Amino acid sequence: MSSMTLFILFVSIIALLFLFINLIFAPHNPYQEKYSIFECGFHSFLGQNRTQFGVKFFIFALVYLLLDLEILLTFPFAVSEYVNNIYGLIILLGFITIITIGFVYELGKSALKIDSRQVITMTRFNYSSTIEYLGKI
Amino acid sequence: MYYSIIISLIEVVLVLVPALLGIAYVTIAERKTMASMQRRLGPNFVGYYGLLQAFADALKLLLKEYVAPTQANIILFFLGPVITLIFSLLGYAVIPYGPSLAINDFSLGIYYILAVSSLATYGILLAGWSANSKYAFLGSLRSTAQLISYELVLSSAILLVIMLTGSLNLSVNIESQRAIWNIFPLLPVFIIFFIGSVAETNRAPFDLAEAESELVSGFMTEHAAVVFVFFFLAEYGSIVLMCILTSILFLGGYLSINSLDVFNFFYSILFNIGFIDLNFFNIFYYFYKEIFVNNSIIEGLIYGLTIGLKSSILIFLFIWVRASFPRIRFDQLMAFCWTVLLPLLFALIVLLPCILYSYNILPVNVL
Repeated sequence: MSSMTLFILFVSIIALLFLFINLIFAPHNPYQEKYSIFECGFHSFLGQNRTQFGVKFFIFALVYLLLDLEILLTFPFAVSEYVNNIYGLIILLGFITIITIGFVYELGKSALKIDSRQVITMTRFNYSSTIEYLGKI
Repeated sequence: MYYSIIISLIEVVLVLVPALLGIAYVTIAERKTMASMQRRLGPNFVGYYGLLQAFADALKLLLKEYVAPTQANIILFFLGPVITLIFSLLGYAVIPYGPSLAINDFSLGIYYILAVSSLATYGILLAGWSANSKYAFLGSLRSTAQLISYELVLSSAILLVIMLTGSLNLSVNIESQRAIWNIFPLLPVFIIFFIGSVAETNRAPFDLAEAESELVSGFMTEHAAVVFVFFFLAEYGSIVLMCILTSILFLGGYLSINSLDVFNFFYSILFNIGFIDLNFFNIFYYFYKEIFVNNSIIEGLIYGLTIGLKSSILIFLFIWVRASFPRIRFDQLMAFCWTVLLPLLFALIVLLPCILYSYNILPVNVL
């Protein structure tokens, strides 16, 4: 058994060991108030959870998938730079150009912008500061 | 056959136990450092100078009552933190503490670290979703969006380093910095990588997952007792791992200034001004070389201490950043990643290989 396999096993065993120590040795006396989910100031009730969420998060994940794939596909060029000299470089530049055009399109469509109520009120006073510029994009 | 298993078991324990102890002491170091920056004492009761505080906390949390909400998915609720902890500790397997001195110094070490650190996101997503609380759900959504966005920044910064060194092996990356540390040619990338690693570990100016004033405690609102310890250990484990990785990629890892070079420098100066007797100095030089330079134990110690010192300085920087800057808003955080850091990095990805090609300094991959 190689040390790598043993390392993965060892880390998993440590984590599970801690979990079982806690489950065995800790006191456990539940009542209804303790085991309802957290709510501030009043009782929690059913049906308020697992609601819809902003589609922005999903779009971020989609764009992440594309761009991360692009970066990971560029790694082999970085490793074999010396071998495929100008040939690889031109292909890399073309590849990055195509991806960048798509990325600029996403930015222009403001697909990666999260709306904030604070920015709308703040930009009335002053357009110069960098932070507000970031918020506007 | 059993002999080799025992050897690898000893290797694993020798890497993992100091890593866990280091993580425990980073928590105390953070509390003490922040206390000094805010003119308080910090923990100073348990043990001498508060040194046993982390163990007292861990023991307390191990013996606390676990709370599993009735509406939660119990299996995923406990599986999420376990996954987070496991994947944040797995990265230590490929860290070289000396020349090729890792558990497995294999040729795709950087890919391995990237893969393992991105798998830790699953734990956060599972834990936040399975708790069935709206605060935990919103916290996990935010945290996941932040982690995957800044992972792009990290992996493209690493790509730029690989373009200079030409290998995915961490030891080769360090050895190719014998001429000059990567921080000098790649200073902007170092700064971007540092910002990315602060955001990737959910640290203070970017700790929007657990912004106490909006979301109670982010994705770990419902988690108590040992499950909370898992998140805590995972966070600090990934901080230490990120700092070690930064010091490997940019600050030369275990490479320190060669003491013989310093010695020769002063020797030549003193000799040229006729200050020193050559015979006496040669004897001194000989003994110095025999004791400190040709001794493999001392050489190994210096390697280990060097990488420890460099990553400790970076960890201090993390804590300093936490004590200094206020938290920014979530839309600012995402806009900073997607419209500032990523276009900058794409420009550098185009620029750097063009410079390398036009000056004919493309790196040769020897392995």
